[in-house]
Amino acid sequence: MPVPAHHIIATPPPFEAPPYPADIFAGQAVLVTGGGSGMGLAMAKAFAQGGARVAVAGRSIERAREGAARIAALGAAVHAISCDVRLPEAVASAFDEAEEALGPISLLANNAGANFPVLAENISVNAWAAVTRIAIDGTFLCSAEFARRRIARGEGGAIVNNSAQYIWTGFPGDAHSAAAKTAQATMTRRLAADWAPHGIRVNAVAAGFFPHADSVSGRRDEGIEPLQNMIPAGRTGSIWEFGWLSAMTCTPLFGGLTGQVIVQDGGESLRRSLIMPDFVAPRERAEGPWGWQ
Amino acid sequence: MSGGWLNGRRARIEGDSPAIRAAFEAAGAVLAGEGEHDIWVHVAPPPAIRPAHELTHGEWRASLDAGLDRRFLGARDFAEQCRARGRGGAVLFVGAPEQALGADQAAAAGALGNLTKTLGVEWARDGIRVNSILTHETGETLGHLAAYLVSDYAAYVTGAVMGITLDD
Repeated sequence: MPVPAHHIIATPPPFEAPPYPADIFAGQAVLVTGGGSGMGLAMAKAFAQGGARVAVAGRSIERAREGAARIAALGAAVHAISCDVRLPEAVASAFDEAEEALGPISLLANNAGANFPVLAENISVNAWAAVTRIAIDGTFLCSAEFARRRIARGEGGAIVNNSAQYIWTGFPGDAHSAAAKTAQATMTRRLAADWAPHGIRVNAVAAGFFPHADSVSGRRDEGIEPLQNMIPAGRTGSIWEFGWLSAMTCTPLFGGLTGQVIVQDGGESLRRSLIMPDFVAPRERAEGPWGWQ
Repeated sequence: MSGGWLNGRRARIEGDSPAIRAAFEAAGAVLAGEGEHDIWVHVAPPPAIRPAHELTHGEWRASLDAGLDRRFLGARDFAEQCRARGRGGAVLFVGAPEQALGADQAAAAGALGNLTKTLGVEWARDGIRVNSILTHETGETLGHLAAYLVSDYAAYVTGAVMGITLDD
């Protein structure tokens, strides 16, 4: 059903009007994991709009290069790196390469992730390990590598983690990601405490549904149009408003902000009623575990 | 640096927060007394820290009045005004963290958090967003975060409850 015409939908400013000046990250370099596409690319673009140099890390160097080219088109200095964030040595060498190309990395966006709808009993050991370790181990390894380098330099920094709106409610039909994304959020608070004495801030954005070319969700013949009305806000998210909020947490404007998990989901995780449509078990849903892919 | 976030918006701030006032003005908002406004912020003063058995019912009620009841009633009036104008709007509740003070604050802030989540959904299709900042912080980050949350940049943030500092 389309959103009724008399409803009022709050919308963000256009991509060309970021919330901060073009030099807010001047002289700084950010490393964005999984920055070649999707939400990571949106984060990378947002940092570029604030004047940061951008290292795009991805498991696929081709995809990282594609993303880097799009960020370079915004006028930013960029460097694409191949990195599997589950491997400590790979993470260390990615930071080495990024710092050689762009100078000291003072900002980090942990976005690398994998996700797909699947019944819990059908999650293979490999699939479980891939989804949970990219998010959980990857966020830990990249953050710790970043922090060791900042602490060694005697300088602070800022980290932002891409978490998800379903972290406090569970996500039936997506057990691996439900576990992984909550770990990212809860480690955010503790990492912030560990590194506050070193001037390193750590925050997370618990993101709702921000469709993009590589989304698993919303890939259907009709496109995403039919999905707008399921969100209380009356629309899915615009990918750049996610990028902006992520980058905002790293600006001096929010210089006192740390250990926070900000939910940005148009109220999606909060919609419920005492009386709701019949519950359909994920394994019995006509269109798969999420019900609409 | 936050110039333009709230250009042309009329905001009413109930309660006292110099940082929020300054940030709103820097972001281009007009601080309105009475009359129509696009943004309603309620800042509750932190109640004194007192063990629960030493609180009179009168003191308890005063905390809940300021920390919860007044906020609900004020938000309801604001939302009614938004609907009458056919315009969206933004509500922001600001106060101390839930477990930072006494049992009166714990009750009020907990209630406020779930009220925030509820009103954010109830009024979503009126284009009215509702968020809360529960924090010890009173300085610039509070001002900037408040201005961001009531601006269109946070158009996809509603029903969110957040702090600022580690011990929030």
